[in-house]
Amino acid sequence: MINRKIPANLLTQLWAALILLLVISGCSSSTSIQINSQFPKVLAEPKPIGAAILFNDNFINYSAQPTKNISIDIGAAQQQLFTNVFTGLFSHTQFIAPSEPVAQQVSLVITPSVHEVQISTPSDNYLNVFEVWIKYNLVIKTADGEALTNWFIAAYGKTPDSSAKSKSAAIENATITAIRDAGAKLMLDFYRIPAVYDWVSKQPPKEGSG
Amino acid sequence: MKILCNRHCIFALLLLLALGGCSATTTIDEYRPSAEPITLNSMEKIVLLGRRDAGHYETDIEFINCIRKQLNRADIEVLDQQTFIDGIYPWFEPRTAPRALPRLKRLLQQPLVKAEIDRQAVRYLVWLDGSTETQEKSGSISCAVGPGGGGCLGYAQWSKLSTYEGTIWDLQLLEEKGRLRVDSEGTSYLIGVVAPIPLLTPVKNDACTSMGTQLTSFFSPQ
Repeated sequence: MINRKIPANLLTQLWAALILLLVISGCSSSTSIQINSQFPKVLAEPKPIGAAILFNDNFINYSAQPTKNISIDIGAAQQQLFTNVFTGLFSHTQFIAPSEPVAQQVSLVITPSVHEVQISTPSDNYLNVFEVWIKYNLVIKTADGEALTNWFIAAYGKTPDSSAKSKSAAIENATITAIRDAGAKLMLDFYRIPAVYDWVSKQPPKEGSG
Repeated sequence: MKILCNRHCIFALLLLLALGGCSATTTIDEYRPSAEPITLNSMEKIVLLGRRDAGHYETDIEFINCIRKQLNRADIEVLDQQTFIDGIYPWFEPRTAPRALPRLKRLLQQPLVKAEIDRQAVRYLVWLDGSTETQEKSGSISCAVGPGGGGCLGYAQWSKLSTYEGTIWDLQLLEEKGRLRVDSEGTSYLIGVVAPIPLLTPVKNDACTSMGTQLTSFFSPQ
């Protein structure tokens, strides 16, 4: 049997280092949030317009990193919500990847993208709420490729910290509210965008469109 | 006359005083255009919606659920808030929800929206708006643990104020059926005598009980 003696001061230093390591690792936690919520269909009468919605990979798999310790995977959730909303805006919708051709009934091609995501926690804002802002950009073109406009949507969501069990649950709730807010803004204002309004007013009335 | 009071008696007296201080003061105001209660038939439901458009707070779901339980106990059928909001998406989101009756009237001119509200059999909508906030904190308490044992020493107190308003809208006649407001205030204490002894005042719970009771009196289920 080999008897090895460790000096007492070395043992103390090892213990101190171990405790320090534990404390430091406990202080720097990173949070990864996946938004899996289901979003409702919109209650609206679509206009008799055909549109192709171009979801690129960056949008479908988008994961935001608003701070160095927090990442929010919103890709699938926003794809589902935008699908629901555009289906409520246009009588004919085609959801395509960048490589796919647009259908014949399509008159508008819309490419959504995420411009920026920001969050604010009670320690930042000194309020009892978690807040999330998502800024979307919609590139709207005609089927011929003529650019109509670049439209930005600023969506906002907040949730009280008392309603959620943890910080990640509170950020998740606030993000869901922000994504829903983007849908509300889109439904409310899409046909009020001056370039879209002008373009729609110049379209010949379709048969049976009332 | 000599009154004798031993240590137990003094402790009981202090406890009684402390507990007496743990009750909330609640005030209720209400307005109703008619003294007659609103008759609800067996097919009609009400929905409780929390206002979410204020900047610094959001009417919490805990309070809404508490009121809902009170109404359910009185045989009033209450539709779940999220079911209603999802069914009518996106017209009752914080950005789009009507803040006053003229906007509600315009919204219900949309045939799809009116049809969905009829399908859900929602006759009355009750807006709940308010929050519970901690107002003042004072005192300090410290706890320590050593090889021979541990304990706490000190005293802390904080007061809370709950303010909630309720507004009842008739979704068929498109008119306001009443308003009520509850203010509840109380102070909680934490006394550290070896073990920490909390003496909590259920401010929000008192506000809920008072508003729930008052709101129930507005309706008469058949």
